Amino acid sequence: MTDRIILAGILVLAAVYFWATSQIPTLEIGDPLGPKAFPRLLGVGLLITAAMLLAEIIRDRKAQKPAVAAETASGGSTGVIVLAVVVTAIFFVSFETLGYVLSVAAYLLIMMNYFNKRGRWLINSLTAVIYAVGSYFIFTKALGVNLPQGVLPF
Amino acid sequence: MDTFQHILNGFLVCIQPINLWYTFVGVFLGTIVGVLPGIGPSASIALLIPITFGMEPTSALIMMCGIYYGTKYGGSTTAILIRTPGEAASVMTSIDGYEMAKKGRAGAALAVSAIGSFIAGTLGVIGLTLFAVPLASMALKFGPAEYFTLMVFAMTAVSTLTGKSAAKGMLATILGLMISTIGIDLQSGQARFTMGIAEFQDGVGFVVVVVGLFAIAEVLRGLSSVHSGTAPEAMKISGKLWLTKEEWTRSIGPIWRGGVIGFIIGVLPGAGGTIASIMSYTTEKRMSKNPEEFGKGAIEGVAGPEAANNSDTAGAMVPLLTLGIPGGGATAVLMGAFIMYGIQPGPLLFQNRPDLVWGLINSMYIGNIMLLILNLPLIGVFVRLLYIPPGILYPLIIAISVIGAYGINGSPMDLYLILLFGVVGYVFDKVDIPVAPLVLSLVLGGMMEQSFRQAMTISGANPKIFFGSAITVTLVVMSVISILIPFILPKLKQFKEEGKDE
Repeated sequence: MTDRIILAGILVLAAVYFWATSQIPTLEIGDPLGPKAFPRLLGVGLLITAAMLLAEIIRDRKAQKPAVAAETASGGSTGVIVLAVVVTAIFFVSFETLGYVLSVAAYLLIMMNYFNKRGRWLINSLTAVIYAVGSYFIFTKALGVNLPQGVLPF
Repeated sequence: MDTFQHILNGFLVCIQPINLWYTFVGVFLGTIVGVLPGIGPSASIALLIPITFGMEPTSALIMMCGIYYGTKYGGSTTAILIRTPGEAASVMTSIDGYEMAKKGRAGAALAVSAIGSFIAGTLGVIGLTLFAVPLASMALKFGPAEYFTLMVFAMTAVSTLTGKSAAKGMLATILGLMISTIGIDLQSGQARFTMGIAEFQDGVGFVVVVVGLFAIAEVLRGLSSVHSGTAPEAMKISGKLWLTKEEWTRSIGPIWRGGVIGFIIGVLPGAGGTIASIMSYTTEKRMSKNPEEFGKGAIEGVAGPEAANNSDTAGAMVPLLTLGIPGGGATAVLMGAFIMYGIQPGPLLFQNRPDLVWGLINSMYIGNIMLLILNLPLIGVFVRLLYIPPGILYPLIIAISVIGAYGINGSPMDLYLILLFGVVGYVFDKVDIPVAPLVLSLVLGGMMEQSFRQAMTISGANPKIFFGSAITVTLVVMSVISILIPFILPKLKQFKEEGKDE
């Protein structure tokens, strides 16, 4: 089943990519191929891939492999992943406004206290704050990496 | 012959105190990265690129290569003590290594890994030294058509050999190439596939793709296992960190054979360390007088695969340095690092920057010695890393990724992209689409298009040029074979088995 969804996805992607390639404006000077030729080749490659996947689906059906039960015992974990992605997304959106130190500390506090339970609130919080402040100074002052200052004065 | 002179000069480069220091930093970080299950060499090299940006390229590359081969040492420790490979290629070690640990021979398992890794790693660097010059001088004769077909071969081999399905590997390859076409086309100045997003004019950086696909995706996988409470406990190191005489005589054969197998597999595109260690394991099992011991703590099953996956890394440096074409995911990231420093690996590098090439190659001898010390007498220090609660470790990896991704352009767009690619990597893993081919083709994409267009310009837009020389024809044939192999092999097996029945 998954493979058929992927197959459909490839075909849709190929169609969109061919269309997007045709939208590239070209000036016919010098370069005999222009910027469209290579993307067209990739579009063809995508169609070949679709054919290969189809051949595999047919081959596997002939071999009568037992349908792979995809989600083995991980039914509950999808919710955790969605939660982690959402929290991380909020962290990234607020990264520049809040600044590195505040956003990282807040993110680590939330994530660590959620995933490292067993009543280790103090260790989690200390790690989060020390890491956020320490890494900020190491990377901006010693290594010259550009990180956002945000609302804090330093 | 001045090659010999260059090699000697390379030693002078790599023993400069600053380069010794960066060799040490590289292999030290490599061991840490190898021990920690959550993060691999690809992601950590990518993360270091923005941080090391102002550094002298030789030192930076020495450090990054140190991470690459250092992870193989660290990975075995995790495999032996918690039965989880710290690094994909140490998966075979986790079978007999863990069984040895259960029997109280963890010390011997760790010792044979470190010693086997050292012997095979050094053997691999010697092989790299010997192969580099002839291959590089052959590659000097390559024109754009040869390069294009060589890249096609590398990509098809990686596509069909890395995952469970050749079609899905190809899909990953084409997706990587498509991502590489995003941005302004350098030859015509036209913007392509930017979807109206200004940041995409410069293209999608490979650092964000690698960090997303490797680091973030791995963290998401890890967090789901933390939540379901399946994170394993580490065993204590038991027994002396040394081998008995009997164990030593049993190990030396597998180490040599593993070293040779690993180096050959490493030079060839596609297969990589995991396949090298599996091949070494099956070879040893077949050669052994007591094959039933395998899976129950046979030291040969640790010595061989560990040797194989270490000489594999040296072998994999051969096509990267001499041809400028990486044969797998991690070397593709290394290539990306070279390019970020404005250095194009390949045959010309041996002529233009012999100091860099040989300084780098020779630093691998020293790095292997350092790794032996770090992973034998000092292993206890690294084992402590296994006690870091995963619930603290995984959020920290995301926080570190943020520095790496944001540090390149100072743009929040790169943060959104690592999250996007993280989710993509997580989903791809669930549906068996491999990500290494995507990274390889993303790094090579620009070069591939350029050589394609150059070849077509030379031939006046006649595709016959790709069948114009013995080299291109051979490479095209090999590419076609590598695509067909997954369809032919099962048929052949079937044929053989039917023959047996009669």
